[in-house]
Amino acid sequence: MTGNGWAIEAHGLTKRYDKLLAVDHVDLAVPAGSIFGLLGPNGAGKTTIIKVLTGLSDITEGTAKVAGFDVHQDPMHVKQRVGWVAAEVILDDDLSGWENLWLQARLQGLTDWKSRAEQLLAYFELTDRRRDKVGAYSTGMRKKMEIALALLHQPEVIFMDEPTIGLDANVRRMLWDLITGVNKQFGVTVLLTSHYIEEADALCDHVAIIDHGRFVATGTPAELKARVKEDFIELETSEPLTAERLQQVAGVSSVRSQGSTWILRVASAEEVLPRLFHALKTDGIRRINVEKPSLETVFIDITGKKIDQAGSDVQDYRKFYLNVRRARR
Amino acid sequence: MSTATQTVALPASVIERRDGRVGQLSQFYGLYAREVIKTFRNPFVIVITLVQPFMWLAFFGGIFSTLPTGTLDSFLLHAPPGTGYLAFLLPGTLATGMMAIGMFGAMSTIQDKRFGFMKRILITPTSKATVYLSKALGSMTRGLVQIPVMIAAATAFGVTLHGDPLTWCAWILGLVFLGLGFSALFLAITASSTDWQTPGVVSNFLSMPLMFASGAMFPTSIYPTWMKVIADVNPVGYSAELSRSVLTYGTFTATDLTYLGYLALFATLMILIGTALASRYLKVE
Repeated sequence: MTGNGWAIEAHGLTKRYDKLLAVDHVDLAVPAGSIFGLLGPNGAGKTTIIKVLTGLSDITEGTAKVAGFDVHQDPMHVKQRVGWVAAEVILDDDLSGWENLWLQARLQGLTDWKSRAEQLLAYFELTDRRRDKVGAYSTGMRKKMEIALALLHQPEVIFMDEPTIGLDANVRRMLWDLITGVNKQFGVTVLLTSHYIEEADALCDHVAIIDHGRFVATGTPAELKARVKEDFIELETSEPLTAERLQQVAGVSSVRSQGSTWILRVASAEEVLPRLFHALKTDGIRRINVEKPSLETVFIDITGKKIDQAGSDVQDYRKFYLNVRRARR
Repeated sequence: MSTATQTVALPASVIERRDGRVGQLSQFYGLYAREVIKTFRNPFVIVITLVQPFMWLAFFGGIFSTLPTGTLDSFLLHAPPGTGYLAFLLPGTLATGMMAIGMFGAMSTIQDKRFGFMKRILITPTSKATVYLSKALGSMTRGLVQIPVMIAAATAFGVTLHGDPLTWCAWILGLVFLGLGFSALFLAITASSTDWQTPGVVSNFLSMPLMFASGAMFPTSIYPTWMKVIADVNPVGYSAELSRSVLTYGTFTATDLTYLGYLALFATLMILIGTALASRYLKVE
């Protein structure tokens, strides 16, 4: 662990792919032993940050230290101290669970790994299936195996890239328990990316909200939520509206448009909604959605967009290929 | 789905590692073993690897085998008198087979990139050079699988094989060098690619000239001058000639030793150049 209590430190971290500025001068400080969340829409730069912090991709500008080692100058020592859990569960399906662990031990150069592997299999309740090919595992078991691989070499930091993307509610809940369990029991720092508000809220000690490669807000979930005390109403009508009309409704403090949707900042949604229905009764309200103070409203407050819509202007090829692979299966 | 609830005490001591060269060897062995295990667990790959050279013998060799032996002896100047075209073709087919296996290594690498496994490897302290070398050796090993089946097939077709264990070792070593060299070459060319089509395109581009301008299928004495120039530097031809000396004629001369040296040089050069290229250009995804 680093002497100053930070598992990850980055200053002015920047990554550029030709003309695309994927990560834009990010400062990051992740306390050792914490769960830190990078929350942002698809294409915001979350996965790129993981790539540069793990040495998979070169840093264009800035500095970063992980587990006390400089990512650029000493990537191999960083790689000895980090684990990785991918969004799309990357295992060798032709190998058994035990063989996957064996390969991971080889790649990490471990000498005495078997007892730890057995204990990890017991912890994740995979002992009975250790000899089976992982291709035959359920989704939840595959996720568990991936976390076991990430923990095998006693890493100080685990990077989890969208760990619950595409999973059903039960498996997601199980993974949340696993992630908090791994953090507490193994004392490992977790940096996870997510575009699920509730996931960041439930799991993370600290959150950085990222949009277009920049951190737009950082803090604990409670601190971030305290920034926005008002409600948001998302509104869509069949008839065209003007900002002036919406601002005339009592209780509406500000109005923003996002495509065909209007986002209204209001003191109390319960009080404003009846007035809004009355004022727009001839405009054909097609959809209305209320957001109470949450990390979602923080994101809306800062970027003017909902988190699940913010990335729609960015091509996410990784997700595209993931979906294609899932469809083929 | 149940949640992991067990409390398992994990060892508190820092886990021990192999560092430096020993660590690299450990990584190399793990990745090489993975390549071999995956090959032998995939029946489709095994069947194709085994059937392809056999089909060469059966179809290509079958046509020429119907010609009278005397015609062949006069036409194919280097064919051993009275043994027929299959005896001539067998060493050539083994050599061209080892040339083609480079494509499989390249495809395996692209699959690892596309499915994200390359990220899983490179997020560990494993160098790109280690990945490259394990792929090249794994690919070559896959190519060696065809040797026993070719020998069996040729015997079944009535070909008499010569040589002794020592010269057979030299012949197989030549094939190992050839397979390593071409695996290294294919992997280097495709290091920066993630396109499934690239290995096939590269294979098609290289296979035709290297196969025909080699002496593997026909004696170089009947080639036009420009093809002889290619054949003079083509390692496939040197491997075929070495194989022919051992298997067909039962000899191993000083010339064959230089052929073996040439193949060793080819493999070494390809691996050195390929390692340098892969260290720089091997893409993660």
